[in-house]
Amino acid sequence: MSGPINIRELAPGTSIVLADGAEAEIVANPGDGIWLFARYLSSPSDAALIGQEDMIFAQNVVSVGRSGAA
Amino acid sequence: MAMKERRGYRSGLVDLPMGEISREIFVNEDIYAEEQERIFARAWLHVGHESQIPKPGDYFVSSMGEESVILCRDRAGRIHVFLNSCRHRGMKVCRYDEGSTPVFTCPYHGWSYGTDGRLVGVPYFREAYHSRLDKEKWGLVEVAQLANYKGSIWATWDPAAPSFTEYLGGFTRYLDLQLDGWDGREGQAEVLCGVQKWLVPCNWKFPAENFSGDTYHNISHRSVDLAGIGPSGAGRRDMGERDVSRKLHVCIPDRGHQTILYVLPADKVPPPAYLNAPIVAEYFRHCEAERRRLRGPEARLVGAPGEIFPNTALLSRQPRTMAGWHPRGPHQTECWRWFFVDRDAPSEVKSILRDYYIRYSGPAGMTEQDDMENWNYAHAASRGTIARRFPYNYDQGSGTAVDDYEYQGLRVPGDVIDLTEVQSSEQPMRNFYRRWAEFMEADDWSQLATWRIGERKAAE
Repeated sequence: MSGPINIRELAPGTSIVLADGAEAEIVANPGDGIWLFARYLSSPSDAALIGQEDMIFAQNVVSVGRSGAA
Repeated sequence: MAMKERRGYRSGLVDLPMGEISREIFVNEDIYAEEQERIFARAWLHVGHESQIPKPGDYFVSSMGEESVILCRDRAGRIHVFLNSCRHRGMKVCRYDEGSTPVFTCPYHGWSYGTDGRLVGVPYFREAYHSRLDKEKWGLVEVAQLANYKGSIWATWDPAAPSFTEYLGGFTRYLDLQLDGWDGREGQAEVLCGVQKWLVPCNWKFPAENFSGDTYHNISHRSVDLAGIGPSGAGRRDMGERDVSRKLHVCIPDRGHQTILYVLPADKVPPPAYLNAPIVAEYFRHCEAERRRLRGPEARLVGAPGEIFPNTALLSRQPRTMAGWHPRGPHQTECWRWFFVDRDAPSEVKSILRDYYIRYSGPAGMTEQDDMENWNYAHAASRGTIARRFPYNYDQGSGTAVDDYEYQGLRVPGDVIDLTEVQSSEQPMRNFYRRWAEFMEADDWSQLATWRIGERKAAE
């Protein structure tokens, strides 16, 4: 298991993996350490979410995929 | 009388026919608690200035009575004022003084709000709430009414309060002196730098009545006058224009607003000011000429300390500032001071004015320190069991105000006392506390809008 993720450091363009296995790409990071604005790239539990933008709660982010622009 | 019945506000504590006011209204904790509901939850209160939030997402955390509020501009550019408290468990959703953000996020459980106040983020919304929480219902609490008056932002929690301009009545004339440009153009003021904030151990009404127009305490500032911090090297202000003017107390009856005012003679040009800084002197000379051209006889008015009920002070001339007296318990006030300049003024002018302003006002200002010392010790010496038995005297100049004042063709409506010879009166304080008592006794705005009652009777 990886260590805690510093949500505040994640740049737009970074992909994140969520607790339900979905993958999303960060669109904006408000820097509050609690929320990310991200667009779903995949969603095993609900395909309708793919392509949609949503607010992602920090506790739902389990790992970081490819990095975005710093 | 039974102890229990004596606890809070009661009629007679403000006894203006006798010229007396009980010390209880300054030190009594039950009266203080009643003020929060009856005054600060119903009156229009100053929140800030639009120049503090120029871009979408900008915010400034302000105060309405005891309560923290967020003044912000949403993504569409609209200005809002919200209670700074999460709807879930009440935590502050913004703990900075000012900044820019896309969302206000509660650090406790993570509820998140857009800059338009809508609840946009709820952790585990789908999982724990099963997507059933009505987000539209749980947005930030917004003020009932908001007014942008020439860039200054005012708000009230009471939907039944009259409009802000009706609340001001004839006092708009004096707020205009604060917010218009020195050259007479409307709404040219901007806030210079940040807001100075500090605590004074006194009841909020001490500074409020002081800035209502207390000219009697000038003796307190004797030392700063001797030190000569003024912008021409003497005194604490330029006094030239005042020495040739009529000096007035102007009170707006029914509203509780009041000010000192100087009225220049019809044929007089204000004497030169800011003589220690030629660029500032030239700027004001130019502005004064423009002001006379644009405003005509109205340019003869020279602003001075005044107070908009309940807790906003104006000082439109030297130094040009507004202040808020935020209650922090019966025995403590958080003082806030905004400094203003014309937004188009040259940067050298702004820089020199900034130095003068902070030399005069704020926690390090030499004049404001004198005031703080008075309020601090007056309050402390009024708290004791014995001290509370003895009212303060507010009788100075009782019965001498006129309501049809005119000087060389310029009318000044309101209750007016010409101070030029008598030097001082307590008419502004009586006007302030008359209104304070009305707020403490009235059930709602149908009783508080006393001018409407008069208008109705006149129509009948």
